[in-house]
Amino acid sequence: MTSRETALAIPEPSPVWRGQFAITAGRIGLALALLAAWKLGADAVGPLYVADPIGVFQRILGDTLSGGLLRHVYVTLRLSATGFAIGCAFGVALPFLLRRMPRLTRAVEPYIMASVGVPKYALVPLFILWFGIDDAPKLWLVGLLVFYPIFIAVFAGIRNVDRGLISMARVVGASEAAISREVIWNSLLPFFFAALKIALPRAISAAIIGEFLVGNEGLGYMIEYSRQNFDTTGVFAGVVVAMALVLVINAALARVDRRLNAWRPVERHMEP
Amino acid sequence: MAAVPVLEVRGLSKRFAERRGRDPSSWVIKDLSFTVNDGEFLTIIGPSGSGKTTLLNMLAQIDTASGGELFFQSQAAPIDDPKSLKPGLSRKIGYVTQEDNLLPWRTTLQNVLFPLLVQRRLDSETRARAESLILAVGLAGFENHYPHELSGGMRKRASLIRTLVYDPPVILMDEPFGALDAETRAQLQDDLLRLWSLGRKTIVFVTHDIAEAIALGDRTLVLSRSPARIAGEHANTIPRPRDIRGIMTHPQFAVLYQRIRGQVQ
Repeated sequence: MTSRETALAIPEPSPVWRGQFAITAGRIGLALALLAAWKLGADAVGPLYVADPIGVFQRILGDTLSGGLLRHVYVTLRLSATGFAIGCAFGVALPFLLRRMPRLTRAVEPYIMASVGVPKYALVPLFILWFGIDDAPKLWLVGLLVFYPIFIAVFAGIRNVDRGLISMARVVGASEAAISREVIWNSLLPFFFAALKIALPRAISAAIIGEFLVGNEGLGYMIEYSRQNFDTTGVFAGVVVAMALVLVINAALARVDRRLNAWRPVERHMEP
Repeated sequence: MAAVPVLEVRGLSKRFAERRGRDPSSWVIKDLSFTVNDGEFLTIIGPSGSGKTTLLNMLAQIDTASGGELFFQSQAAPIDDPKSLKPGLSRKIGYVTQEDNLLPWRTTLQNVLFPLLVQRRLDSETRARAESLILAVGLAGFENHYPHELSGGMRKRASLIRTLVYDPPVILMDEPFGALDAETRAQLQDDLLRLWSLGRKTIVFVTHDIAEAIALGDRTLVLSRSPARIAGEHANTIPRPRDIRGIMTHPQFAVLYQRIRGQVQ
């Protein structure tokens, strides 16, 4: 077998593959560098200010094995998910309702846009006053923080739908419900996913902040409880777990996004 | 043989709503009247900006008229009030627009099936019809491609058969082959005539190309510059089936061409 035939039989790694390898290696290197900086920082300023990373991971492992951490994670996820579902449902449904009522939309639009600027976290004391100290005030906080980015994106997405597609659908006999479902919903999916990328991490953050203030369970409670006991390792453990949750959720979201938006034209690399 | 009008337009007029910063709107179409007979291939020709698309939008009932009446099979179809508009007149009028308006998230086949889907008429029979149309216009092998993966000509074919698939008795076409190269265009005209000869729908075909208007039509209306009025009407008896590429050599073609060109300004 000549060298030429060998070259044909075993293709060289493509430039694309090599590029991907370089990116992955760079990411791992960066992660190690960040961990090293954390460790050095902890050694320099002491464990009361920056917890030692090894201690933090030991704490996470230990609390996971004892089951206490899983309970906190579960409570925070349940709160985030419920609040997200409520905020998302209103954020999607309201623009679809307003679409049918252009005059009402024009009347209420400035009020909706003005309410975007209200600092939601500052409302928590009022929510506690109005809705008690159960999950209700936290759900209001999460729901509101999720509602706005989704409402604004869906609202803008509906305005952006190609009028030609809607006319076509009407002419071929599509009902208004079918047009909403098929033409409008699919047109605004990219907007919706962009909003989800903001809203999902926000739901977790809002739940944690809600738990700082009310209740005796959840990651927020765990972080705040540790802080009150000068347990910096516990605070760091809570923060790391919260970050990990957000990363996992974002990765899952990216997968769904790729699948639902598979039709979109993508940049194609040249085949070797 | 007495011609049976399927579509009748009486005194149709249109001007767009005034808007700040724009001159008081003048009439785009003023007092336009004509009829379209059953099974006829009517071509309408006019200079660009003469309100051809506006006219078809009103016939398809996706736009209101400022005045005038529209009759479909002698029944009045109110078109002056946005609330009473019935786009596509309950699936009786199909509309192939200048833009292909394919749904970008649906494949070719899914786009062609879309009207059947929303009309709840998707079954093995209509599905077979869709597939035979795909075959007839040479889109076989591209059923699972998305619109952005198709050429301009293929997208036109897909949008054409998306209207043919649900078999509306009247089809409006707005310069459907305008943006294509000459050869693709001739092929599509050929395809269209072949499909039409099988089903004999009523077609109202708008174009700014005199040769196309003659090659395809049984009759050609010439529109004047805006406000659009009928500047001329030409019966065309060049026998069918017609050969699109050879029709220029027919003696009647040259005569019609000269007469129409004199009226299109």
